[in-house]
Amino acid sequence: MNEQITKILDEMPAAPSWLYYRRAAGQLRALAASGANIFANGFKVAFTGSFTMEPVSEYAIVEAARQDIGLDVYVAPYGQFSREMLDTQSGLYAFKPDLTFLMVEPTAAGTDQETADHMVSLAHHWSSAGNGTLLVCTFAAPPDWPLHLLASTARERLQKANQYLIKALANDPRIQILDLDALAAYFGYVNAFSPQMLAMARVPFSEAFLKLLGQKIGSCVKAVKGLSAKCLVLDCDNTLWGGIIGEDGLDGIALGPDSPGREFVEFQKAILELYEQGVILAINSKNNEADVLEVLRRHPHMLLREKHFAALVVNWQSKADNMNALAQELNISLDSMVFADDNPVERQLLRQMLPQVKILDLPANPALYAQTLRQTDFFTKASLSEEDRQRGAMYAAQRQRTQLQQSSVSLEDFLKSLEMVCSIRKAEAKDVKRAAQLTQRTNQFNLTTRRYTEAEIAAMLPDKRRAVYVLGLKDKFGDNGTVGLAIVNKQTESWRIDTFLMSCRVIGRQAEDALVDRICRDAQLSNVKQLTAEYLKTPKNALAADFWDKMNFIKTSLDEKTSQYKCDLERYAPKEFKYLKLISINQN
Amino acid sequence: MEMNTHDRLERIFKDAFSIEKLTDDLSIDNVPGWDSMAHVALIMTLQQEFGIAITPAEAIELTDIASIKNYLRSVAH
Repeated sequence: MNEQITKILDEMPAAPSWLYYRRAAGQLRALAASGANIFANGFKVAFTGSFTMEPVSEYAIVEAARQDIGLDVYVAPYGQFSREMLDTQSGLYAFKPDLTFLMVEPTAAGTDQETADHMVSLAHHWSSAGNGTLLVCTFAAPPDWPLHLLASTARERLQKANQYLIKALANDPRIQILDLDALAAYFGYVNAFSPQMLAMARVPFSEAFLKLLGQKIGSCVKAVKGLSAKCLVLDCDNTLWGGIIGEDGLDGIALGPDSPGREFVEFQKAILELYEQGVILAINSKNNEADVLEVLRRHPHMLLREKHFAALVVNWQSKADNMNALAQELNISLDSMVFADDNPVERQLLRQMLPQVKILDLPANPALYAQTLRQTDFFTKASLSEEDRQRGAMYAAQRQRTQLQQSSVSLEDFLKSLEMVCSIRKAEAKDVKRAAQLTQRTNQFNLTTRRYTEAEIAAMLPDKRRAVYVLGLKDKFGDNGTVGLAIVNKQTESWRIDTFLMSCRVIGRQAEDALVDRICRDAQLSNVKQLTAEYLKTPKNALAADFWDKMNFIKTSLDEKTSQYKCDLERYAPKEFKYLKLISINQN
Repeated sequence: MEMNTHDRLERIFKDAFSIEKLTDDLSIDNVPGWDSMAHVALIMTLQQEFGIAITPAEAIELTDIASIKNYLRSVAH
């Protein structure tokens, strides 16, 4: 986004009143008038109606700017909407807007029904002479039933008029409906309407509701211009289900009618709603593909199945690389993709490496996932075609796996921006529980998969022939806690790495390299001649298969299940880690 | 209290109308941008900033700084 726009938006206070919207809108208009082509997308929008439309236009300008859309606006004079719509010589027609926004109160031309009739005739007239798209608001009015809570005839009349309006305008593809009544109901009528604003400014809405309306107008502009996102790309673990499939297994993940599984079922329902409206679904997950497929095919509570996904990219490469691969496979652009992942680090990484991709910021509480998805405007559509309804299925039918290709985008800036602090130290009594848990639960990045009980770990701590290292990692998003573990068996002449594992959420950030480096340094300091290591293959740890090779250890033997390695300590040069601030405690 | 009110008003006028120094003689007639629409927006902001309710009838009178200060003083007690 343009720096000047960002500056204007950032200068607004946290809960800005209309005054600040008015000021920011004025600044944005002046900036646009200076001739600079500052927005990614610019549109001409005309506002007309039976209210004072200036406040609506000001909120729309600012809220659209937040979506990087520039609005060049025309505001019809107060009270002139009929003349402006009927007279093709009016300012409205002369402006040649991309979008005309019409918002009328139900009493503007008599009864609700009479006003609806009047609006339909205005719309038909516009349709024969006007430019672009007409966006007609349904009638919204505060309910009149708080005293008796019975069905109200006034409300019934309003709803009837709205249904008539929607039906009468449904067949003109250039006319769209913004359901203002539904929006006010969603927001809460009591909070949406402001008698004070109506009395003083002749617009009935509260400032808070004007903000929401401004956002929706921005989304409508995008929808009309076909700028809505097309594809929702989903992570798996802790996004589609609770827990980690690679660790917890099919029976262990949280997914089902009761919490902590219900949250994820509800999220999947919200995802299915989008699918049924033509949004393409895809998966981008760091996992073993077989594990994810097993959940999609066999888990009794999955609502989303293999057939719903147009593409699945499940591997251990970076999500940015995978996103590029998805874009290529589905033949859509990155800026039409929305990425949903529970992990803020993955989201930030993608933001930095592929700024075109839109990010759905899932809250920490999975119970709020569905609501968060339903409230986003990324996928707002002006209308639904038959093709929209079929699209998800079409893509899924055409799914072809394409070979993933490495992208040339660099990880270095991202690693640097994480501001990681890595502590490596010998385990103490307080670490026993976590250390044992790591050996028992870590399957994927676990070189030997040796399971130890707390008692066994506790017995190692005072043992001179053993060294137990624990690794903690913090970054700017928070403390990941103890996420790495190594156990070394020590003899005078040679050391052997008995256990080496990392929690997979931090793999690829060089912490694992730092742990190896620490062991090598300690071995050198102890004048050890030889350091050996091994990789014991399991159905789950393919991720770590070439780890010792990457660490430049020398392979000494291998068979189907086991690879043996050694490190040449005499030639080993201690490493520097540019992106990790290392805190090494109790060196040797 | 008076200083505080003055400073808060000055900040609002600075943000809204780019007024550097708030003086009592500033009014809807001599501040560029303080038109009838901005006046409503200003009243809404004063309500929010000072936690008060201003009736439309009162709002019509609050068209210069001296009146606004007098009003805020009167409702503070």
